[in-house]
Amino acid sequence: GVFTHLEMLEVQAHEAALKQEEMEEQEEKLARLKARVQQLRLQRDELRAKVDLQQKGQLGKEGAVSDPAQPSARAVLEWKIRSVKAMLQIFCLTGISGKLTKRGVCFCISTAYEGTYLDSYYLDLLTKPEVKMHSNCIAKKYLQTDIRRFLSVLSDHLNAYVGRRYQADQLQEHFSDQIEGTLQRNSLHNLLVFNYKVSSENQTFPFNVRLLYGDLCCSLPTEVTISCT
Amino acid sequence: MDNSICQAYEDEIQSLEEEVKLLTEMYEDCQQESTFFSDKEVLMSIKSFQREFQGEPKGHEFPSDLKAELESLETDLSFLMKFTGIQFTSHSKKTVEKTRNRTVQKHRLSGNCHSFSFQLEFQLLEMKNKEIVSVATTNLSIIMAFGEDSDVSKFVSSTEEQGSLLTFFRSLSSYTEWYEHRRCTFLHFK
Repeated sequence: GVFTHLEMLEVQAHEAALKQEEMEEQEEKLARLKARVQQLRLQRDELRAKVDLQQKGQLGKEGAVSDPAQPSARAVLEWKIRSVKAMLQIFCLTGISGKLTKRGVCFCISTAYEGTYLDSYYLDLLTKPEVKMHSNCIAKKYLQTDIRRFLSVLSDHLNAYVGRRYQADQLQEHFSDQIEGTLQRNSLHNLLVFNYKVSSENQTFPFNVRLLYGDLCCSLPTEVTISCT
Repeated sequence: MDNSICQAYEDEIQSLEEEVKLLTEMYEDCQQESTFFSDKEVLMSIKSFQREFQGEPKGHEFPSDLKAELESLETDLSFLMKFTGIQFTSHSKKTVEKTRNRTVQKHRLSGNCHSFSFQLEFQLLEMKNKEIVSVATTNLSIIMAFGEDSDVSKFVSSTEEQGSLLTFFRSLSSYTEWYEHRRCTFLHFK
């Protein structure tokens, strides 16, 4: 009787306390989130105003808009660091760039097809005591005598390979409705075989194409065979 | 009901944080692109920066760290210029468009490769698709001083048409190297 009743009251009180706690937590969380939103909105609006001023300042040929005073030494240094980094990035766009390491140089060969940049290849060279490479590669004969020539030959091969592969990918992607199945290609991407169909009036004509790229430094085929199957 | 309000706040917070990050980058880019300090000014700053922190290093970056970083970057740059033969004499860029997934910059670059000087303008497009960043150059415009040489001008116009900055530099580099070899050989015979 009384005891069970007391127990029930205890349980009810406990549950009510838990609910109260939960509600308070929810309210706190909502309040925190709301405050954060307002803080961010303020920050965003301030930044927008700063950027707008900057854009207007551009027309007046003024430099730093919010710091009319002399820029700090640290700011000048940081500007210079960013500026040199930007120039190093331009070197990446030229195809051969790199950075000096403790034991030699790490070259980066970038590849591109027309204006689109594709894979980058890294080559770690140890120059002390003599020039060595971490792995096997083509054009190794130039490595000891003429690193520049070596990199140039390597760059030609890589760019051509990547160019052939990119063209094959683009062909597969943009003409998938005309090509039957998938393009067959070898690992060097210098042999491409595929079937495609041409529709005219109510007939479709199946064709088989074989592209052979005889020159590994070239991304255009040297031999084309088309047959009607 | 509370949960959906929470979610709405959280979504807004995420989008505001992205916006703040983007605006900060735009502001910093614009600051960077519209200022210029000469080498002399940079040297003076290095000296005064070191003097300022003679006693205690403030913040997380010691002046020697920044100086070391600059020296290492400049060493890499001068190595590359010497190794490839491509010397850049000036470079300026302007960020024309910047959104979460796309950045477009206009670049102006001048320099020389052995005795051949060039002036380039191009647009650099960077697109971000999840984790993958793709880079492309467009609107390539090349000016080279060797107008009389029809081979060079044919090469320049075909490279401009294709829009391949990389081909331009690779070919320029080989052409000028062989040009130098020929020049030295002819001098030898004089």
